[in-house]
Amino acid sequence: MSSALRRQAWVIGLAILLAALFVFTRIIQPDYGADGFGSLVRAALPFVFAVAGQTVVVIAGGIDLSIASMMALTSVTAATLMDGASEPFGIVAVAAVLLLGFLLGAVNGILVVVSRVPDIVVTLAMLFVWQGAALLVRDSPGGAASEWLKELVVGNLAVPGIPTGITDWVPKALILIVVCLAVVWIPLRRSRLGLSIYAIGSSSLAAFRSGVNVSRTKIVAYAFAGLFAAMGGLVLTMSTGQGAPIPGPYLLASVAAVVLGGVALTGGKGGLLGPVIAVFVLRLVRSDLTFLAVDPNVTTIVEGAIMVVVVMLGALLAMRNRQP
Amino acid sequence: MNLKKFMMPSALVLAMACSFGGTALAKDKFVIGISNTVQGNGWREEMICAMKAQALASGKVEKLNIAHRNTDAAGQLEDIRNLINAGVDAIVVNPADPSGANAAIAEATKKGIVVVAVDQAVTEPSAYIIANNQEEYAYLGASWLFKQLGGKGDVVYMRGAAGASGDNDRDKGFKKALAENPGIKVVKETFTGWQQDQGKQQILDIINSGQKFDGIWTSGIDNVIVDALTESGSPMVPVVGADNAGFVGQLNSVEGLKGVAVTNPGSIGAAGITLALKILQGDKPASQSVLVNPEAWDNTTDEGKAKLKAAADPSLSPEWPVSIFIPDWTTYTKDQIVACKGPGE
Repeated sequence: MSSALRRQAWVIGLAILLAALFVFTRIIQPDYGADGFGSLVRAALPFVFAVAGQTVVVIAGGIDLSIASMMALTSVTAATLMDGASEPFGIVAVAAVLLLGFLLGAVNGILVVVSRVPDIVVTLAMLFVWQGAALLVRDSPGGAASEWLKELVVGNLAVPGIPTGITDWVPKALILIVVCLAVVWIPLRRSRLGLSIYAIGSSSLAAFRSGVNVSRTKIVAYAFAGLFAAMGGLVLTMSTGQGAPIPGPYLLASVAAVVLGGVALTGGKGGLLGPVIAVFVLRLVRSDLTFLAVDPNVTTIVEGAIMVVVVMLGALLAMRNRQP
Repeated sequence: MNLKKFMMPSALVLAMACSFGGTALAKDKFVIGISNTVQGNGWREEMICAMKAQALASGKVEKLNIAHRNTDAAGQLEDIRNLINAGVDAIVVNPADPSGANAAIAEATKKGIVVVAVDQAVTEPSAYIIANNQEEYAYLGASWLFKQLGGKGDVVYMRGAAGASGDNDRDKGFKKALAENPGIKVVKETFTGWQQDQGKQQILDIINSGQKFDGIWTSGIDNVIVDALTESGSPMVPVVGADNAGFVGQLNSVEGLKGVAVTNPGSIGAAGITLALKILQGDKPASQSVLVNPEAWDNTTDEGKAKLKAAADPSLSPEWPVSIFIPDWTTYTKDQIVACKGPGE
């Protein structure tokens, strides 16, 4: 196995697992097709951005327990800004909310760096702070979203000249995911800053001795998590047409997908593709459990069991690979 | 990769499935999907059991597809879309909020799937609604309490979950009663999150803080409040709760307790199943929306006492509402709802 392939082994394994799940889905639900895939992508939307944010922080050696609360806060802010506003104002609202997310994340990072309290404690506290702030913005679900924003996640890509047989398989939501992640992640990954994020996650002491500004890098990593959380908040507003102040189940799901995606919780290792594929795996498992009409009290056990088995299997394979 | 080849004919299959959708009336057994976003709460569990029992008792349901978990409106969109893809004939949904799931509900009804919202209303016009009137629920209980206090006194206001639409509707009803009774003052307002342990801790904290109060309004986290008053030895004050088995039992037995149980039947879920089956068989209701109005059973009048006596059911879990049947809408037996088994289970 070449070294590049070996490095991507986990991601490739996950992609195969996802493909196998698609085949399984077709067997249990012969109707499952483009519509089902479209639903899957739209279901994955908020989770993808939550896990993207979590991934950046985990790679930097931290963890952000406030991710779902930041999504709630940015979502209600977006829905409130756009309530009764003109369509073009939506652009201003999106920009403002993305900036807000970046700042919320930066606040998390600054508190972690300045207080020297462990990340898990600071962000746990901030989970409650941002949740309270979300309730101050809106005490119940409401607000609105610009129509053009809502349209961004509805339906499929329509390109003249390409047969609908193909475009049916390209939901707009998928384009949104690819564009948003690529625009932020690829330049970041290739920059000096991206390298520093990996370095401080791997060993902050070694990074410090090589001249990396550890504190600043950590703050920026958290700020990027906030930015992704804001994207997550925005897609929540886009898909539901409103903002809800109570955070959804995105915190634990983001940690689960990070782990399943092959990112080491100790930091410094992994990429974004793995966790994103992991999100699709977890969402498709949820669809399959619904198709099979599994007892709802059993479904969460199944989801958890699949995670443990996959992670254990992965670790086992990695161990075997290391042997001569 | 041959995955694509494998999946391509699906559009055709789907189109065929849709074109045959119109023949659903000829069927004599249906597949019904359920979407609910709160798990592990006594009221919601009773609702699910009522749905299962009614599906079984009706004899018209081949299979129930239940998406029952703790999630938000976006998660409900996901669940409803999964149910659409699972090919159900009808979906009964307890909405996370009034408009968050509209997009998926509209997609379902466009495909000819009957959608019935239970417990709380949705704003999507193509859905049928059978819901408990939450504003009236709060107004009835609060009005009784304020009258009991002679229109003057300090009240503890123990709400549900911050940001939930049910809580918001109840807040409107409570505020309406409050506006009619200017002598009443809310001295403490808490959110129990509809969790027993949280509610009990909050009232114990309030008692320990030395705060004086003359009455307590709860959003259905009720029996633990009476427990806390008894255990802490503080004076018994009038308590407003729901028709939960535990609280109804207390209203019948606890010395010195004055209170009112306002009905909020979890069996509304079963009514949703009945309504969906009726529509599937071509019997559409006159109105798109049916509101079930609550009743108030207090233990200070003979009429209320009689109702409480009749309703008491110690065999039910204390968190379960005692109103397990809704006349004209439910046909199952008590054994069936307690067994909590749907068709094929």
